[in-house]
Amino acid sequence: MRYLSLFWEYLKNYAKTRLTYRADFWIEVLSDLLFQGMNLIFILIVFQHTPSLGGWSEAEVVFVYGFFMIPFGIFSTFFGIWNFSERYIVKGEMDRVLTRPAHSLYQVLLENVDPPSLIGSFVGAVIMAICWTQLDLPFQIWDVLILALLVLGAVFIYAGLYTALSAISFYSDAPTGIVPLMYNIQNYGRYPVNIYNKVIRFMLTWLLPFAFVGVIPASYFLEKKADDLSQLALMTPVMGIVVFTLGLLLWNHGVKRYHGAGS
Amino acid sequence: MLAIDVKDLRKKFNVQKNREGLSGALKDLFKREYNEVTAVKDISFQIPQGEICGYIGENGAGKSTTIKMLTGILVPTSGDIRVNGFIPYKDREKFVNGIGVVFGQRSQLWWDIGVIESFQLLRKVYRVSEQDFRKRLDVLVERLQLGELLNRPVRKLSLGQRMRCELVASLLHNPSILFLDEPTIGLDIVVKTEIRDFLMQMNKEQGTTILLTTHDLQDIEALCSRVIMLDDGRIIYDGGLDELKNRWSKGREIQFQFAAHTPLEKLKQLTDPLEVTWTLENEVTAKMWLPHAVSVSDALARVVGGTEIRDIKIFETNTDDIVRGIYQSGSAAAGKETVMS
Repeated sequence: MRYLSLFWEYLKNYAKTRLTYRADFWIEVLSDLLFQGMNLIFILIVFQHTPSLGGWSEAEVVFVYGFFMIPFGIFSTFFGIWNFSERYIVKGEMDRVLTRPAHSLYQVLLENVDPPSLIGSFVGAVIMAICWTQLDLPFQIWDVLILALLVLGAVFIYAGLYTALSAISFYSDAPTGIVPLMYNIQNYGRYPVNIYNKVIRFMLTWLLPFAFVGVIPASYFLEKKADDLSQLALMTPVMGIVVFTLGLLLWNHGVKRYHGAGS
Repeated sequence: MLAIDVKDLRKKFNVQKNREGLSGALKDLFKREYNEVTAVKDISFQIPQGEICGYIGENGAGKSTTIKMLTGILVPTSGDIRVNGFIPYKDREKFVNGIGVVFGQRSQLWWDIGVIESFQLLRKVYRVSEQDFRKRLDVLVERLQLGELLNRPVRKLSLGQRMRCELVASLLHNPSILFLDEPTIGLDIVVKTEIRDFLMQMNKEQGTTILLTTHDLQDIEALCSRVIMLDDGRIIYDGGLDELKNRWSKGREIQFQFAAHTPLEKLKQLTDPLEVTWTLENEVTAKMWLPHAVSVSDALARVVGGTEIRDIKIFETNTDDIVRGIYQSGSAAAGKETVMS
């Protein structure tokens, strides 16, 4: 409860600071959408050369992409900690965080909320809805509940992975290269994993489970394929809890090794 | 009850060694070498409730590291800490409710929003009720004269204004211990005095325990009944300020202004058996330096008896000189030896 009210307070302050820079706000929304649009165009171009990708049709792959955008938007809103190492470790702002009575990760997240990213989620939902009708998929009311559950699980997987990634900064001085690397790997999860070789597939499913953020949960709603990824779909929330717990443990352990900056 | 109880506290850091040149950097890429640096070396001290204690030492002596361990930011390598009955890094979230922290070099406040909004946010973080918050804020705002600053964003405040706001921010939850890391750094003399007066008053009225690090010894003279001096990670002095002065000041200086020109030889003659040294400032002024062993009245009597004097000034060695002496000699123990010899 207290953490919720804190969230609300931080959000109000976010609004106050950001709305004073109106142009900046819209530019951010626009660049976010452009970035997602580019990815979508890439998919469309690929399908101009082939009717199916590992047994997946164009509409299905776009459906997966639409699904992916929902958890990704939510994740980006609450986990805008791309510059954690730079801002909190190198500049030592973690000092301030650690002298306040709330969980350190929670404080860091609150200080970096980024609501405009949520717009991406809405766009994703729209894309999904369009593909849903195009593919003539059956629709039941509990699909919405399951969708919510899967999205939540996917958000937690992202959250856990990036929490762990940020926690590495407690151990290593400058893990600059890892974030962009992760960012590239995560993109593979949006496409059907059966198009990759076994090693990459295994990695995307079990080691850095980005497949659980895109293709696996989305396949729950699609027609069954030969390798039937949809069997794994309901594992998404479990995976989310496991990954996030691991990330949080690593964070809590890492905080104890924080060694400050300068004087 | 003890506010702070520290026993055999030690903190080691692994600092990466950077080898020279491009080939060195390449070697570092594959095999890093680390230097082990012990910033704080088995220090012990106790601070009772309600005391204002100054924590001084040169840059890199380990002051900030100690403060960071006491406030729960850093986890010690070994040793015991109890602050307010808590082990700071263990029950961090509960523990920090009872302490206030100000880092002179780092802001606690949100840069872009109004000061009052930062305070409101802190109120929520520390779970202070609206009523208590109002009461405390009114008192603090009045005492530190923040009235018209409250609605300005922090980035538009001067350093002095910001520092006063930082103090208020650290006190909103009514902590019983206040940690100040160089609170007066870069401030002008008016603001410095204001902050000192404020801290003094708060300590008297509410019995707040204060531990402050500073390079400005005037802070220490104005506030602290006790000084802990640190050098290279070890405590080299722990005790009263007066005692520090008595023990390490080697003597005092008396300046005379004579009615007429008085040659050096004559002055030396006057004080002949005493171990004093004379320096001539100009035609009619001279300075006499006398060690503690020589009594002031004795020396004065001799000079007064032999010359006509317009004016006399006595200079105590000031704390800056004493502390500089200790820093330069490297340890207080060394200083002590020279006193005795």
